[in-house]
Amino acid sequence: MQTMSRPNRQYWGTLALGTGIGAVYLIGFVIGGRPLDGVIALAIMVGFSGAMYLVARRSETVRGLLDRRDERITAIDLRATAVTALAMIAVVLVGFVVDIARGGSGWPWYLIGAVGGLAYIAAVAVFRIRG
Amino acid sequence: MKNDVRERRTAKGLAQGELAQALAVSRQTVNSIETGRYTPSLPLAIAIARFFGTTVEEIFHADHV
Repeated sequence: MQTMSRPNRQYWGTLALGTGIGAVYLIGFVIGGRPLDGVIALAIMVGFSGAMYLVARRSETVRGLLDRRDERITAIDLRATAVTALAMIAVVLVGFVVDIARGGSGWPWYLIGAVGGLAYIAAVAVFRIRG
Repeated sequence: MKNDVRERRTAKGLAQGELAQALAVSRQTVNSIETGRYTPSLPLAIAIARFFGTTVEEIFHADHV
């Protein structure tokens, strides 16, 4: 039995957001003189967000991720985001070490790491105040 | 956390989906609560207790208190 709503405006919003991001990619590629790559990037974003829309029609979990009404799915999303962040941190650290080992400056890895570290500190400070 | 949600739901003749709809959560969440794999937040636990006309401590049984 389906207990959560069928795809609605929020799911169309996901499709629109994906298309919007793809359009920004397209503009970036066009400015950089590679319009074909921009079209490919737009197609990937439209395809991904379209797939999410279609999967949401069948998957209760995906619908929950999109409409955020279910606290358990929201908690799953939060934990999955934390795991993703750990993976990204590992990539940044390895990228930084490899770059400096090759004689590079560590750019842009150290900048990404610094932004991540500062964002974490800021988030802890804010959430601590908010309780 | 052990609980009596499944017993109380079946006693009312409700399907998991019907309880989920009443609580505005997914059927999967009701299933996870019933099997003890997910401990609901305090607001949801209160909503469950109110739905069954009882108190939180009558439905949810903490393992270590």
